Amino acid sequence: MTAPETPGIEDLLRQLGPQVLGALTRRHGQFEACEDATQEALLAAARQWPEQGVPEQPRGWLLAVATRRLIDEIRADRSRRAREEDVTAESAQLCEPAPGEPQPPQHDDTLTLLFLCCHPVLTPASQIALTLRAVGGLTTAEIASAFLVPETTMAQRISRAKQTIKAGGMRFELPEPDQRAERLRAVRHVLYLIFNEGYTTSAGHDLQRVELAAEAIRLTRMLHRLLPADGETAGLLALMVLTHARRHARTGPGGVLIVLADQDRSLWERQEIEQGLGLIEQALTTAAIGPYQLQAAIAAVHCEAPSAGQTDWPQILALYTLLERIAPNPMFALNRVVAVAMAKDPQAGLAALAAIEEDSRLAGHHRVASVRAHLLDLAGDRAGAAAAYRAAARLTTSLPERRYLEARAARM
Amino acid sequence: MKYMLMIYDNAGTRELFFGPGGKALSEEIDALMAELTASGELVGGEALADPAQTRSIRPNHGAPVVTDGPLAEAKEHFGGYLMVDCESVERATEIARRWPNARFAAMEVRPVMNTGGGPDT
Repeated sequence: MTAPETPGIEDLLRQLGPQVLGALTRRHGQFEACEDATQEALLAAARQWPEQGVPEQPRGWLLAVATRRLIDEIRADRSRRAREEDVTAESAQLCEPAPGEPQPPQHDDTLTLLFLCCHPVLTPASQIALTLRAVGGLTTAEIASAFLVPETTMAQRISRAKQTIKAGGMRFELPEPDQRAERLRAVRHVLYLIFNEGYTTSAGHDLQRVELAAEAIRLTRMLHRLLPADGETAGLLALMVLTHARRHARTGPGGVLIVLADQDRSLWERQEIEQGLGLIEQALTTAAIGPYQLQAAIAAVHCEAPSAGQTDWPQILALYTLLERIAPNPMFALNRVVAVAMAKDPQAGLAALAAIEEDSRLAGHHRVASVRAHLLDLAGDRAGAAAAYRAAARLTTSLPERRYLEARAARM
Repeated sequence: MKYMLMIYDNAGTRELFFGPGGKALSEEIDALMAELTASGELVGGEALADPAQTRSIRPNHGAPVVTDGPLAEAKEHFGGYLMVDCESVERATEIARRWPNARFAAMEVRPVMNTGGGPDT
């Protein structure tokens, strides 16, 4: 590590990155070129500021450098096409705010940027990569290492995403009011995917790697600040914060998986839990209810239980029943089965499982086998549980989960 | 999700791909590689040298013993692999179906294990 103030500069740059990119794109329109120019300005700042100090107006500095890069790029582009146009006027126009146009508040730019990066024409992989780079301010190398793919692979995803935006003629503006809700749902989903990716690729305590779960929380917190009245954004943030608060208890020595029921709850981050509880309570009492809020409410019930045995399962069952009604989804249905077993008895859970396992979307999913194993285990059917734990172990692609399931099978 | 596409060779495929008539097949492979590179799905891939160059290591009463040649006199040998990171197993399977080797010998698609555990709910 370099100077102790470096983390401060990093945070500042990642906070300013989307603002600079937003201002530049709003002014000039060419998202692809603006994104490159902003990245270069951020890299220049990351090199210069730790040595020369942070400029008095860091945002202005970045915007000036990015604008210069953009002009250079436009000039190079023009000369490539051997066109004899005067770029001076354009340069001046780039540096000055457009006459008569009021400066929109910076937060509008960041929100517009999020909508653009999570545009439904992009594949989920592209939405994720572009959001992390353009809004998260991460370098391509950092994103690649977070997803455990080569940098060239990630660079391709980003450049393809930018080409798609360019080819589709997407404008840098907020979606039409009648599309706002749908587009916001897409943004939340991308943030949720980034958060989950943090769990599925986590490669131990590699300090050099960007922590995707923490990054997803940072971006969702930003979205929540921009749209404080949006209940589902608050719900998503609460869900992430409450899940992330348990991170230190989730794994034991050597990366061994520890399930919720067996976790040492003193390792849970109490302050973060308090924050998550505050968020979800506020959302549930002020906004229209939605699936993220209900999932957060379920996480909250777990977090409030002093021990696994004191979990309010009837409350969780009621929440899952409501969740399944407003957002039918086979995974919610499967989680509800566990709640049925815990709130009533294992036989009731097995009956509920039999009712949903014909759903083709659950076919071959390891969670079905692991839920069955858990219920048979609770019901005292050791042979049946062992077979189901083994079946689940063969179906999972997670190494810690496989070890956990094999260990359970061996204990039967 | 990462998948490994495993490419198998039989007695005829090496000659088919590396022999004088293999140019069209190589071009087909190059085009597919370019497509997967552009889509950001290609993670990596290698072709292996001839099975005759294999060295096998087998345990014998708890100690590894080295011999020349492949493990068994099999009709098919592991010949190379492709690693892709894509949306679904259906997409990975589609890539394997389009890979020219699939017209002449077996291929297998298998998910790669990850080291994360998924959220704890």
